[in-house]
Amino acid sequence: MNIVDQLAGGFAAALTPINLCMALLGSLMGTLVGVLPGLGPTAAIALLFPLTTVLPPVPAIIMLAAIYYGAMYGGSTTAILLNIPGEVASVPTCWDGYPLARQGKGGVALGVAAIGSFIAGTVGVVALTLFAPVLADHALQFGPPEYFALMVLAFTAVVSLSGASLARGVAMALVGYLLALVGLGPATGEPRFTFGFEPLYGGVELIALIVGLFAISEVFVGIEERRAAIAERIRNILPSKTELRQSLPAIARGTGIGFLMGLLPGCAPSVTAFVAYDAEKKLARQPERFGQGAIEGVAAPEAANNATSSAGFIPLIALGIPSSPALALLLGGLTVYGLNPGPLLFQTDSDFVWTVIASLYIGNVILLILNLPLIGLWVRLTRIPFGILGPLILLLCFLGVYSMRNSLFDVGVSLLLGVVGYFLRKYHWPLAPMVLSFILGPLLEKNLIQALSMSGGNPSIFVKRGLTLALLVSAALLVVASLLLMRKTVKRVELATAEGTQL
Amino acid sequence: MTERRITGGILILLGAVALFEAQRLTALREELVAGAVVGDDTFARIIGAALLLMGLYAIFVARWPAWEVKFPARAERRKLVMSAGALFAYFLVNPFLGYPVSTLLVSTVLYRAMGGYRWPVAILIGGVTTGVLFLIFRVWLVVSLPTGLIGI
Repeated sequence: MNIVDQLAGGFAAALTPINLCMALLGSLMGTLVGVLPGLGPTAAIALLFPLTTVLPPVPAIIMLAAIYYGAMYGGSTTAILLNIPGEVASVPTCWDGYPLARQGKGGVALGVAAIGSFIAGTVGVVALTLFAPVLADHALQFGPPEYFALMVLAFTAVVSLSGASLARGVAMALVGYLLALVGLGPATGEPRFTFGFEPLYGGVELIALIVGLFAISEVFVGIEERRAAIAERIRNILPSKTELRQSLPAIARGTGIGFLMGLLPGCAPSVTAFVAYDAEKKLARQPERFGQGAIEGVAAPEAANNATSSAGFIPLIALGIPSSPALALLLGGLTVYGLNPGPLLFQTDSDFVWTVIASLYIGNVILLILNLPLIGLWVRLTRIPFGILGPLILLLCFLGVYSMRNSLFDVGVSLLLGVVGYFLRKYHWPLAPMVLSFILGPLLEKNLIQALSMSGGNPSIFVKRGLTLALLVSAALLVVASLLLMRKTVKRVELATAEGTQL
Repeated sequence: MTERRITGGILILLGAVALFEAQRLTALREELVAGAVVGDDTFARIIGAALLLMGLYAIFVARWPAWEVKFPARAERRKLVMSAGALFAYFLVNPFLGYPVSTLLVSTVLYRAMGGYRWPVAILIGGVTTGVLFLIFRVWLVVSLPTGLIGI
């Protein structure tokens, strides 16, 4: 079957009432959480993850992907109207979005952000459709040493997930690997790191880890933070012809930058949004307009942000490599439902993959036609008190974790990790590397054991095979490139924080 | 400096545990699988060694960025402790009281602690929340929930 037939099959499945409903519900709920000040796509996925656990895999993943898209869209709302970005990737949007809102053009800025997100998101999904199967097809020739090298390549994502301190990110990743070792060993089936405690024989449940570290700790942090509500009334959201003429080239450039950089496993949306903003400012005839309310300053980073997020689905689905914390959680979601993202996914779960890809197209359209007119409603929803939302989220977390294995032990683990996550957040330790390595750990270990068994325990097998060596060299180069880009981004974020953007 | 020492200490401790467990697994591998050069101990040993090195790095070499860590004021701290305590109590009483009763109790405490609502209001919102969650998850989605000693 060719790509068109497979995609058509995907659309037929994605357009079933249940899947369509989940895409719609996910977009709406993702936007709702994304609109809440200070909460970005990562928090949105973690907070709403428990809700999806009661669904079958396909609608659950469709809902998770829609939550991701919705939260991305919702995040720009608070960046523009309140000068509060949900995640680092939305910081450049604040610089011109907020001045526009103060000039009474908040609606227009939101409209341009939505149009930019739609165009960039759709371009990204088209590329996903065309390139991911080809990439996965090539990766099918991999043996255990190549898979091991691929997992090392995936590990380079830790650089972009680490934030300001790579050492902290690596330390967290090692702890994640250690947690992944708990349970029955893959080679002998004997328990390890269980210390005779039977509930640990099944290992640490991924959803307990995600919900604890991200969702429960988020609520704990929320208790002590005063969250702002959007007071502005939004009237006109459609840009004028002049504004559209100014925005469209910026959207195109932002999409290009975001997409191409997003293909690199170590390149997160936080990096590309800054690069796109800088490029736009350098190309502008009147660069002094930037920071004062230039519509291109909203269009370019929003498009780049969304293009990177969409492009991130290519290494995620084809190779199992996430490029951002939110995608690391999505990878976790796929794993929870028994799917192994990577080259084999297109072979073993082809129908599933194409349904999800089709749902990404649908999700993009839903966001544009539904969310834009509903912006007034989203703004009003930011006024729901945290005293209502917080307890509700915690109760849903309990249900979500419990329902995975009907295990109160898992609930206890997630509560414990919630407390640990709260302190880690307080001390600025990045959480995403831990989740990434927890997910990659079993695959890395399996391929390491198989590769070393092939060579009789000789590690030179990893440098003797051309493809393995190429992947390992690529990983090293990516680490250097990502480090340079992240350092630049961290400096820009520090500057933005000093200038009054709340993070 | 203190943060680095504590972090380094924890990482070294975890590394030592991993290496100790790897040693046990090596003996087990040699006993169970004759001639195998790698097994369940291999990755554990690598991670253990890496944790150990990372711990030493944290203590003697690392330069963490100096962030100011702010902990909540007294009122917020009280809310935080009450909420976390309520959640742990929820986890402990669920097997005995069952899902509906323990959810009613804990949601009331959470609404009181996090929202500052008066007790009658907190009980009312807690009751509505419990009812809605029970209807959606137990009745509609047929999720198996703890029934407790009273069987509901």
